[in-house]
Amino acid sequence: METSYIGKSVPRLDALDKVTGRAVYSVDVDLPGMLHGAVLRSPHPHARIAGIDLAGAWEVPGVRVAITGKDFPFTHGGMIKDQPFIAIDRVRFVGEAVAAVAAETEAAAQDAVARIRVRYEELPAVFDPKDAVADGAPLLHEQQEMYVRGPNYQYVPGTNICTIRSYARGDVQAGFAEADEVFEDEFYIHAVAHTPMETHAAAAQHSPVDGSYVVWSASDGPHRRNKELAEALGIPINKVRILTTDAGGGFGGKGTIVAEAPAVALARFAGGRPVRVVFSREEELSASQTRHAAYLRLKTGVKRDGTLIARSADLLWDKGAYASKGPEVTYRGALTIFGPYRIPHLDVRTRLVYTNKQIAGAYRGFGTTQVTWACESQMDIIAHRLGIDPLELRLKNCLVENDKYINGQVMHGVGLTETLERASREIGWGTPKPPASGVLRRGKGIATMLKGTQTPTSSQCMLTVSQDGSVTLLTSAVEVGAGQKTVLAQIAAETIGVDPSSIIVPNCDTLRSPFDYGTTSSRVTYHNGNAVRIAGEKVRKRILAIAGEILKTDPARLSLSRGRIIEEGVGERAGLKEVLAKKFVRGGMIWEEGFYSASGSPLLKADQGLQAMSSIFWMFATHAVEVEVDIETGVVRVLKIAAAHDVGRAINPMLCEQQIEGSVMMGLSNTLLEEFKMEKGRVLNHTLADYKIATIMDLPEIVPIIVETGHPEGPFGAKGIGEPAAAPAAPAIANAVFDAIGVRIRDLPITPEKIRAALKK
Amino acid sequence: MKTLIELSVNDEPRQAEVEPQTTLLELLREHLHLTGTKEGCGLGDCGTCVVLVDGMPVNSCLVLAVDVRGRKVTTIEGLQKEGRLHPLQQSFIDEGAVQCGFCSPAMILSAKALLDENPRPNQNDIKQALSGVLCRCASYKKIIAAVQAAASGEGE
Repeated sequence: METSYIGKSVPRLDALDKVTGRAVYSVDVDLPGMLHGAVLRSPHPHARIAGIDLAGAWEVPGVRVAITGKDFPFTHGGMIKDQPFIAIDRVRFVGEAVAAVAAETEAAAQDAVARIRVRYEELPAVFDPKDAVADGAPLLHEQQEMYVRGPNYQYVPGTNICTIRSYARGDVQAGFAEADEVFEDEFYIHAVAHTPMETHAAAAQHSPVDGSYVVWSASDGPHRRNKELAEALGIPINKVRILTTDAGGGFGGKGTIVAEAPAVALARFAGGRPVRVVFSREEELSASQTRHAAYLRLKTGVKRDGTLIARSADLLWDKGAYASKGPEVTYRGALTIFGPYRIPHLDVRTRLVYTNKQIAGAYRGFGTTQVTWACESQMDIIAHRLGIDPLELRLKNCLVENDKYINGQVMHGVGLTETLERASREIGWGTPKPPASGVLRRGKGIATMLKGTQTPTSSQCMLTVSQDGSVTLLTSAVEVGAGQKTVLAQIAAETIGVDPSSIIVPNCDTLRSPFDYGTTSSRVTYHNGNAVRIAGEKVRKRILAIAGEILKTDPARLSLSRGRIIEEGVGERAGLKEVLAKKFVRGGMIWEEGFYSASGSPLLKADQGLQAMSSIFWMFATHAVEVEVDIETGVVRVLKIAAAHDVGRAINPMLCEQQIEGSVMMGLSNTLLEEFKMEKGRVLNHTLADYKIATIMDLPEIVPIIVETGHPEGPFGAKGIGEPAAAPAAPAIANAVFDAIGVRIRDLPITPEKIRAALKK
Repeated sequence: MKTLIELSVNDEPRQAEVEPQTTLLELLREHLHLTGTKEGCGLGDCGTCVVLVDGMPVNSCLVLAVDVRGRKVTTIEGLQKEGRLHPLQQSFIDEGAVQCGFCSPAMILSAKALLDENPRPNQNDIKQALSGVLCRCASYKKIIAAVQAAASGEGE
């Protein structure tokens, strides 16, 4: 299909504001009369709060609010309502909010919190999920039955198990009996920080008149968070208005209530004045959210020819102190532990376990990164033991068009094989290694993956055309940095027939912007894109009907392209602006809604009772990596990564490349550089000097490869790209390290110390 | 004890009353409302607060306001001249070097300092010059391309 704007690297709509310093991020929100908030945080991983004395805080000039959790005794949580806004009687991790202050200046607020005196009675703490599930482990939440929770989130009373779920298909024991070889391995993946360059921040204002709140934040899910806040506070949704700002990076970490909690609590007592809370980098690294660490046990049965027969998986996830999005992250992750492969017999048990640590939440990949680490590391172990080329083993078992997912859903738009072939070819897979030089050893590795999207979810949008032909797209998709606004404007431009530069996409205001499930799960291009396509088609019809009326011709003979009305067989008849000016002599605008939900799509059909596990689209990716290992120092250097991603259709290839290149680097950084150094639940490396993330000096050669297989229901065939690109990096690098030096790393991160220790053995 | 200081910000004379401990970053963001300069850590680790002082890139969170008395400070707001983008601003847009944008001002200013000094940098020069600024979106590859594009198009 001939397109004007789809498939083109249209410059980002948001870039101009960002290169000129005009973009307003959450940390830049500045309001008349605004107070500055600061939070006192727990020094203990687990303690009873015996008493809090706020008197010292009130002595500081300029202090206007000083509160404890008892002043604002509400709990929140999108999946399980287990988290107080500010701790009440009990703290469960080092860094939990214990009290908060709002003052005329940030310095006064910080000075004041330092003067609050708290008496703690320390409790036994537990830091490792394996210890937390042992008999007699100290409990974090003795009364889990008290928490309101979603229907699928079963817990185990009297334990730290926050959720437990399982799934089985076929007969896994029979499968192991049938197998020629059975592999049992345990892998560990560590927690890492999202590390957005903009720390968490929020401003909030409470109206003493009607009890409503306005919240400014970089939230990626404004319509789910205002519902969560409204439910927590017992007020209607329309009394919690969220205005999203530009976001200085999110990566999943800005999708829950973080800085919003103290901001809202303080605002309640600020007499109508707004309160802004900006996290320090220390708070960002120790009191926001992390990726879930996990122990992943896999038992896999294979035929001698490499055919996968059976897999049993037991997954233990480290929740930290409160649920956040963990129940869904870990369930979605668990369902992809079988990788992008055909395995007839399988079962999985997944347990999410509370520990006295910083909360784990959604992190780019939403559980898939963790399971891909285990799945793809073990695939390599299997290949080497059976003497099969790792690429061949994957090609032999990988899903192809019309294969079924583990619930019987027939998969469409499966470009997996192409990702394997193109990524491996790009790094010269199978070509002989260069001879070892000095202490340097080279190796190549490959890893592949699949990821679904939260299904079914819905998106709405509103497209308006002003009387001069300029277009506004009201959407609650948030520009988190991935180019959401640009992609949606391109889809609107294409379907209406106007130039993308004539479209503006304002930030979300939940009072005005239509509902959207959230900028999460790589879902915006597909879901919001479909909503925009539907609205755009309605707008185009309305315009052509108006043009027919004005030009006195049959609208069926008219089309709209680049803002010009064309009549079949005649040519250009008028400009959009001219036609609308004649129609709206006394003013007016075109106003059309678009609604898309995956619900009811025939693509979701699965085996009886299992449709809830279906995904409306599946993303596939393969990364092929070449590394150089220094056997003296243990340092691993990534030389080249070829990253092939099946995106369905690239609406904007430049944006797809940004996502691929950026998340390849994030994956590399997570794998080789990042690790929380912990001591009794305390994060020791809470600065960016000590918590290392990749810099420009770590940049390897990255070759992004875009595979376009086309999705039958995607807008112009598009699927998603935001999350999967970070997942295959870790196993691909580990597999390349094995190829280079014969060392198999099973627990992340891959550090020089671990490499040296393994080489000594 | 507040001190009155005078300095040039984006070629305009400015005055401000600052405390001895006020940083250049606070002066720019809070006193002069130039919020294009970002704070990512406040400790000199992340580089998102880079501005130019007499053409040299500095972490403005580590510089005291009283120490820029009489100096010439350039922030991202000062690069656009008569409505025209600086070539680096244009190339960052064109080459796709911007994602979340939070580090973009610091990257662009660091690159400007480099190109002012060395109009034909090689890739390693660019990496060195920008290595003090962290970008978690990791747009690094396209940022290098943008600096190269601006360098090759200079004078046009």
